[in-house]
Amino acid sequence: MMLLFEIRKIFSRFKNRFAALLLLIVLGITSILAVNKVEYVDENGNSTTGITAAANLRAVREPWSGYLTEEVLKKAVEENNAVNASTEANSTDIQEQNKAFAKKQGFEEIRNVINEAFSGWRDYDYYAVDSVSPDEAGTVYERRISQLKGFLDSGEEYFSEAEKEYLISHFEDLETPFYYESVTGWDVLLQDISTFILILALFIGFFISGIFSDEFQTKADAIFFSAKFGRSRAAGAKIGAGFLITTVFYVVFIFLYTMIVLGVTGFQGAGCPIQLTLWRSVYNITYFQAYLLIVGAGYVGTLFAGALAMLCSAVTRSTAAAVVVPFIILCAFPFLSRIITLPQICSFFPDQLMEVYLHIKDFDLVEIGGKVMSVATLIIPVYAAVSLLLQPVVYLVYRKSEVRN
Amino acid sequence: MELKMTELTRRFGSFTAVDHIDLTMTNGVYGLLGINGAGKTTLMRMLCTLLTPTEGTITCNGKDIFKMGADYRKLLGYLPQDFGFYPEFSVRDYLLYIASIKGIRPVVAKKRVSELIGKVGLSKAAGRKMKKLSGGMRRRAGIAQAMLNDPRILILDEPTAGLDPNERIRFRNLISELSEERLVLLSTHIVSDVEYIANEIWLMKDGKILSQGTAEELTGTMTDRVWKCFADKADVPKLMQRYKVSNIRSEPHGAQLRIIAKNRPTADAVMEEPNLEDVFLFYFGEKAGENDAVI
Repeated sequence: MMLLFEIRKIFSRFKNRFAALLLLIVLGITSILAVNKVEYVDENGNSTTGITAAANLRAVREPWSGYLTEEVLKKAVEENNAVNASTEANSTDIQEQNKAFAKKQGFEEIRNVINEAFSGWRDYDYYAVDSVSPDEAGTVYERRISQLKGFLDSGEEYFSEAEKEYLISHFEDLETPFYYESVTGWDVLLQDISTFILILALFIGFFISGIFSDEFQTKADAIFFSAKFGRSRAAGAKIGAGFLITTVFYVVFIFLYTMIVLGVTGFQGAGCPIQLTLWRSVYNITYFQAYLLIVGAGYVGTLFAGALAMLCSAVTRSTAAAVVVPFIILCAFPFLSRIITLPQICSFFPDQLMEVYLHIKDFDLVEIGGKVMSVATLIIPVYAAVSLLLQPVVYLVYRKSEVRN
Repeated sequence: MELKMTELTRRFGSFTAVDHIDLTMTNGVYGLLGINGAGKTTLMRMLCTLLTPTEGTITCNGKDIFKMGADYRKLLGYLPQDFGFYPEFSVRDYLLYIASIKGIRPVVAKKRVSELIGKVGLSKAAGRKMKKLSGGMRRRAGIAQAMLNDPRILILDEPTAGLDPNERIRFRNLISELSEERLVLLSTHIVSDVEYIANEIWLMKDGKILSQGTAEELTGTMTDRVWKCFADKADVPKLMQRYKVSNIRSEPHGAQLRIIAKNRPTADAVMEEPNLEDVFLFYFGEKAGENDAVI
């Protein structure tokens, strides 16, 4: 009952109802922007985006579904060469070239894998596949490991022996051949969801920033704290309301965003390894697992920012001060990272929870006590634990409040 | 039920708001009378566990109220001076919420809320938002929330502040009605609020209790100090400067004054029966003359 009333208190305010409406609008806009990234070129060389484009792209990629064995990779190189030899491809007219590209769309993602394997490390060459012979195509997986070893030996970046060992073993452990389905939808989702998570976290912070300061602001504190459960269960209900609002809003809006984006761009590809588009990733996970990692980290970040906002709200008794906290934590820290000369420390800032996609995309190693691990897998449990520990702190601070004004 | 304050003191930095107070309350109505800033609210906040004492103790039937915690607060009903509420809640929802934090089960709360809404005369406004209520209606909602848990200890801080005369009388009668079989502490700077309903009155100034007793006992200390006299209008300022004047009534040929003085202020002055306002004026001086204090 108390919990219900706490939630009602929050959403009885016009500003919060308006913010919820605004969030729905933001959801619509960000989903449309994500979906419109999917582009399809038809046989006449005309480009389209959106729902139809995604459906057409799925249809042309469907025949390529399956394991990317030596034969499949060889076939992709042969088809690529065939298209390159066509009159459209060799035409100087853009429209004609687009017609040629339209023929490559079915194996475009496989083409990119070959490009990655035959490009320099961190030096992607879109045309690398054009110089690859069909017989070489099968060496893609070995080249990934040899590329890494070459990079590590080059000394371009410093890695300890333990880190080198960690990277090589993870690269070698990756299951090959890759299972392939069109991953366009998941690729778009993973690239764009972090921005939406950040916006969502700021909105959630806005909703819950007043939970602990409302009584002080409205001068209802005297009645609240003089009530039987004012310093116990009612304070607990506030924490519960904060947790519930954070969780429900996060889950519902992430679900909606995911459903809209994948509903349009396609759900297939969830079980494919992320290396199909994130070639250098050290995370041997599928797109769906990467999605869970990004969304999970975002949730922890939102929870952490929310918990600090509630703590600020309880200590300062000011909603205005509390509402700034999530913004500082999630938006101002990246700027701080630019002026702090120790990038290793910046990797542990809470804003990194919103940037897990970037961590997955490239190396993000940390060595603690001789044990190497990825930063994302370290900061997620650490901030989750801190967020949980902050809850009783907020409770204790609030329940000891005195009514002075 | 016995609420006992021993050497109760509260300081805010170097300022002492409540200064070594020793008082004991049992059932009945206690009127805490004092000018603004006397320390009444601080005292009441300590009684409501909203502030902890710097020194001294408050016990309820021998137990420290701060150690009792929720067990003490379940006995408590409090209407603060600055009665804050949730503006977007309806009266009914507001009361149901307060009932929940008072630990009243939902089924009982619904019944109790309906009962109290009727009792304080808010039946027609039960669905209206709190922010849309008049000052008097808000106060009535305030007293209803204080009464939700049928408290054994009812603490009302300036409950009539800002009310019009009709509302004030109505409120006073309501408090009187509610005071049966419970301990009521009523703080005010308006004499008439406590004059007729308080069993005992405490006069508080600068954090200390100056005097305490029934209305009769307090006025009894001033039996030979209240005078009525007639004076020329030109002499009124001089008399006001020299004596504490509790009332001036302008008349065609001069003014009739009610003066508090140890000795006869003018030759024609006659002794009057003292009332509580005279006592208030005697202890608190000029600041006692609030505009609404005569009601």
